[in-house]
Amino acid sequence: MSQQDPSTINGGSAVAMVGKDCVAIASDLRLGQQSMGVSNDFEKIFHYGHVFLGLTGLGTDVLTVSENFRMKTNLYKMAEQREIEPESFANLVSTSLYEKRFGPWFVGPIVAGLNSISSKPFVCGFDYIGCIDYAKDFIVAGTASEQLFGMCESLYEPNLEPDDLFETISQALLNAVDRDALSGWGAVVYVITKDKVVKRYLKTRQD
Amino acid sequence: MSGYDSALSIFSPDGHVFQVEYALEAVKRGTCAVGVKGKEIVVLACERRTTLKLQDPRITPSKINRIDKHVQLAFAGLNADARILIDKARIEAQSYKLTLEDPVTVEYLTRYVAGVQQRYTQSGGTRPFGISTLIAGFDPNDKTPRLYQTEPSGIYSAWKANAIGRSSKTVREFLEKNYEKEKDLSDEETIKLSIKGLLEVVQTGAKNIEISIIKPEETRSMTNEEIEKIVKEIEDEKAAEAEKKKPKKKD
Amino acid sequence: MEVVLGIRAKDGVILATSKAFTRGISVLKATDDKTRILNDYNILGFTGEGGDTTQFADYIQANIQLSTMREGTELNSKAIASYVRYELAKSLRTRKPFQVNVMLAGLDKREEPFLSLIDYLGTRVDLPYAAHGYAAFYTMSLLDRHYTPDISVEDGLKLLDMCEKELVKRFPMEFKGLLVKVVDKKGIRVVKGNE
Repeated sequence: MSQQDPSTINGGSAVAMVGKDCVAIASDLRLGQQSMGVSNDFEKIFHYGHVFLGLTGLGTDVLTVSENFRMKTNLYKMAEQREIEPESFANLVSTSLYEKRFGPWFVGPIVAGLNSISSKPFVCGFDYIGCIDYAKDFIVAGTASEQLFGMCESLYEPNLEPDDLFETISQALLNAVDRDALSGWGAVVYVITKDKVVKRYLKTRQD
Repeated sequence: MSGYDSALSIFSPDGHVFQVEYALEAVKRGTCAVGVKGKEIVVLACERRTTLKLQDPRITPSKINRIDKHVQLAFAGLNADARILIDKARIEAQSYKLTLEDPVTVEYLTRYVAGVQQRYTQSGGTRPFGISTLIAGFDPNDKTPRLYQTEPSGIYSAWKANAIGRSSKTVREFLEKNYEKEKDLSDEETIKLSIKGLLEVVQTGAKNIEISIIKPEETRSMTNEEIEKIVKEIEDEKAAEAEKKKPKKKD
Repeated sequence: MEVVLGIRAKDGVILATSKAFTRGISVLKATDDKTRILNDYNILGFTGEGGDTTQFADYIQANIQLSTMREGTELNSKAIASYVRYELAKSLRTRKPFQVNVMLAGLDKREEPFLSLIDYLGTRVDLPYAAHGYAAFYTMSLLDRHYTPDISVEDGLKLLDMCEKELVKRFPMEFKGLLVKVVDKKGIRVVKGNE
């Protein structure tokens, strides 16, 4: 087997969107070895308190990095006596990734959450060495990122209510991953509002 | 102060290394541990410090420790030092098996433990381990019981039966008197002798004794009830003995 | 081209490994055992670069047993899987990573059947059935079709036989049959292939 691109071995995609006083984050559930599907319950969304992190890319690094952030946010919580806010977490992600500038984690992270004090929605994305991409509408990542850009660009509108935001992000993800051989096999969507988080699994094409 | 005990591991003019001798002193203050070899069995018996009212005896660390499936180690002296030595022994047991496939022999492990203890008497920035150990078990594919002792100085020796720790001299003398060299001890006799030996110095009886029975392919610790039963037997025998003597004196 | 196959049944787990030990174009041994027993209820199957495989598996075995001695209690399957993954992920970013793919089969907490697939990168997925390497291409379709979550070990072994037949028929390499082990409430046992 020849040397392959680490970011497309396992496949997978994620997307986050801002709505009116809410945010949504979603990912597919596939994990593969090249063209072969291996698992259909590999969730790529993790949460640390009220902050949500989507991690696409190399499977092993998704696991390692998500566990590292679990440790770091737990230590943060003990030192600060409060949960980490989305803005701080985004900077934590950035510095943690850049720390490994010359031996990087092959991940495509996205962050979503509501600031617990101002209730302001927050989403952002990163390249694999930690450059932050702040966005006020949506952010995409993974092997179907190009398709996701297209879907979001055409479906997204500002100030959507939670239910409409769910519909928009779901349609964007579903139709994007269906055009990507390395993404799909089910999806998970989180809609985050001030007083509750709703997690839903989506049925998708199984090919 | 004579001036020879302030720096570590320095000879006094008459050839003593005081720190090592002080370590032996720490051993003498530790709770007693007894080891007895039978025909097909080795038994380790330990005095257990009286547990405080709110202490949980089931999960308080034991004085008898498993090093590998076939080797057990009991110690007398500083508990804290023992923990370190036990972990070193466990790592060596696994590491030996990893490189050589065979599990360690009891003799090898004893030599290793004694080696570590010796190194700590001579290298800089360390003090000797304040413990003596009894290492018991069986070599792989061998039914011969093994029993060794190590000391803070790094000395090691093999025994049929021995005791270390507080009042070990009394127990050793008892064992010397009662261990019948010519006769092979059965499993029951071995267990009983080890308890009898320990009872010479442990007055509080069964609840302050722990026993580990080591057989080829199987090691287990005795339950309190089992120990109690044997202690009762021993006490009854002693009472009967005393009863026999009494009327004679009256005559 | 080595084969490692695993099926998680409702009352136990099946782990099968090919018996051929191959160097270059020669089969040097037809009774190879590509598994290591980690403790009473967990076994590790492995494939990959010769030398790396046994070195890694022995290292894992030693550390699991050391943990048993230190803690006085056996690690559960999830903890073992997590540890094995950690070692592989750690090794991946060294000068010469272990090229070993593993499959962990066991009863988690001596109760729940458990099967974990971990590749040399440290990608871990817990699955109902799994295979490493090219064998997956020939067997996954059969497993997809016939597996049910409530399958028994007995029926699992029948399903495994179907997989083996398919491999013998279509797999281009001689793999000298499968060594099949089962982990269930009674512990670990060999059910086929050690004749």
